[in-house]
Amino acid sequence: MFKKQKTNLNIVKELAITDLKLRYQGSVGGYLWTLMKPLFLFTVLYIVFTKFLRIGSNIPFYAIYLLLGVVIWSFFAEVTSVCIGSIVGKGELIRKIYFPRILLVIANSLTSFIVFLLNLVIVFCFMLFLKVPLTANFLYFPLLILELYILVLGVSLLLSALYVRFRDIAPIWEVFLQAMFYATPILYPLSLVPQNIAKIMCLSPITQIIQGSRYVLVSNQTLTVNNFLSLPWILIPYILPIFMLILGYFVFNRMSAKFAEEI
Amino acid sequence: MSKSRLLITNENKEVAIRVDGVSKIFKIPHEKNYSLKGTVLNILKKKSYTKLSALNDISFEVKKGEFFGIVGRNGSGKSTLLKILAKIYTTDTGRVVVNGGLSPFLEVGVGFNPELTARENIYLNGALLGLSRKMVDSKMSEIVSFSELREFMDMKLKNFSSGMQVRLAFSIAIQAHSEIILVDEVLAVGDYNFQQKCFNVFRKLKKEGRTIIFVTHDMGNVEIFCDRAMLLEKGKIKYIGDSKKAAKEYLILNKE
Repeated sequence: MFKKQKTNLNIVKELAITDLKLRYQGSVGGYLWTLMKPLFLFTVLYIVFTKFLRIGSNIPFYAIYLLLGVVIWSFFAEVTSVCIGSIVGKGELIRKIYFPRILLVIANSLTSFIVFLLNLVIVFCFMLFLKVPLTANFLYFPLLILELYILVLGVSLLLSALYVRFRDIAPIWEVFLQAMFYATPILYPLSLVPQNIAKIMCLSPITQIIQGSRYVLVSNQTLTVNNFLSLPWILIPYILPIFMLILGYFVFNRMSAKFAEEI
Repeated sequence: MSKSRLLITNENKEVAIRVDGVSKIFKIPHEKNYSLKGTVLNILKKKSYTKLSALNDISFEVKKGEFFGIVGRNGSGKSTLLKILAKIYTTDTGRVVVNGGLSPFLEVGVGFNPELTARENIYLNGALLGLSRKMVDSKMSEIVSFSELREFMDMKLKNFSSGMQVRLAFSIAIQAHSEIILVDEVLAVGDYNFQQKCFNVFRKLKKEGRTIIFVTHDMGNVEIFCDRAMLLEKGKIKYIGDSKKAAKEYLILNKE
């Protein structure tokens, strides 16, 4: 039993390494692009929102505040878009050899997770550079990241399994992501949103994670779900990730036995 | 090692694989429907598909240490059976019991990625066959020398000929030391010299007391290597037993 786990771990490792290698295959910048992307993004956000638009001029360190939201959202959007094809894209492999199919999704999500962590390092560098005061609250941040990963894995499992049978899932998910991007306080502060709409937004775990991260890392003036929701509604954004993981795992397990025949 | 020796003295009476009343039916829809809209519309419509019975009530046993051949014409169900043994397909009815570790060797180079170098592919393929990075490292020189591709190890796999890829894949696969090995017509590629090398490996594995399930169209090899063989025809067992007899039956079947 123990040996099996070790073999599975090794498969995940090798698949993730391969994925990471192929991601920047043939580009001169290579891995550097992983770091350059948030760097350029930050520059653009900084110029647009602090020099031209001045939406959040009353929020301290608004550029960092924005960058954090964008980096978290990009991780969610990217990993789910990649993982949707984790199974279908590896059809050749699935038809030829047996191993727990879930490893393919885990490997894909881990690759994106590593890139995400590197992006966070860049965010931390900016925070140091701009002298954002650090409080003990930042100890909560790993918990938020864990919650985010649980959510992402659950959604990815569900999508990748359904995509084997229903190819419509990909464009539907793309549209859904676009809508969610604007329905989440990423580019605008939550304080600008009318109270009753903000309440609905706060039901989304993504909103809760982004606002929570801003609260613990940037400024404790940040509005969080606690400002809008009370029991029992406030539990929804925290329960949803776990619910998604259980649902995703259940659906994936049910469907995975037939993957080899259906792809 | 001591375990396999014990089995030999035990006259290999233990069962390695037991297949019990296995059937597999593929439902091939007339219109392949991949879309959500199609599914919604189809709920009311009666689905039309052709039932293809790939395997029909197959039962047999393979003893430990046996070299067991499976022969049959194209579409007789050989590959489906191997895929069921390798857990890639599920059965519709019946049961498969596998005693011991199993290395599927259905197609060579599983997981090979053309954009990676040969060396990187060895790690990736090795992982899928159950070899850790450490184990691959310790076997690397053996793998490289067996494949005779030393000077190409850091070349991308897309620049390899198909014969070279097969050689590399085979060299990795023989390092996965499982008690049961499934082999599906992999020897069709590769030059004469390499084929001989592969057969030597099979002889060695057989001597070590491993169980080998061997699917091929080459009756000469069946007669030389297999202790017993099974002839499949349209998803049913037409003959099972002596390998020479199975080979003869197969040739008769082909003349019909």
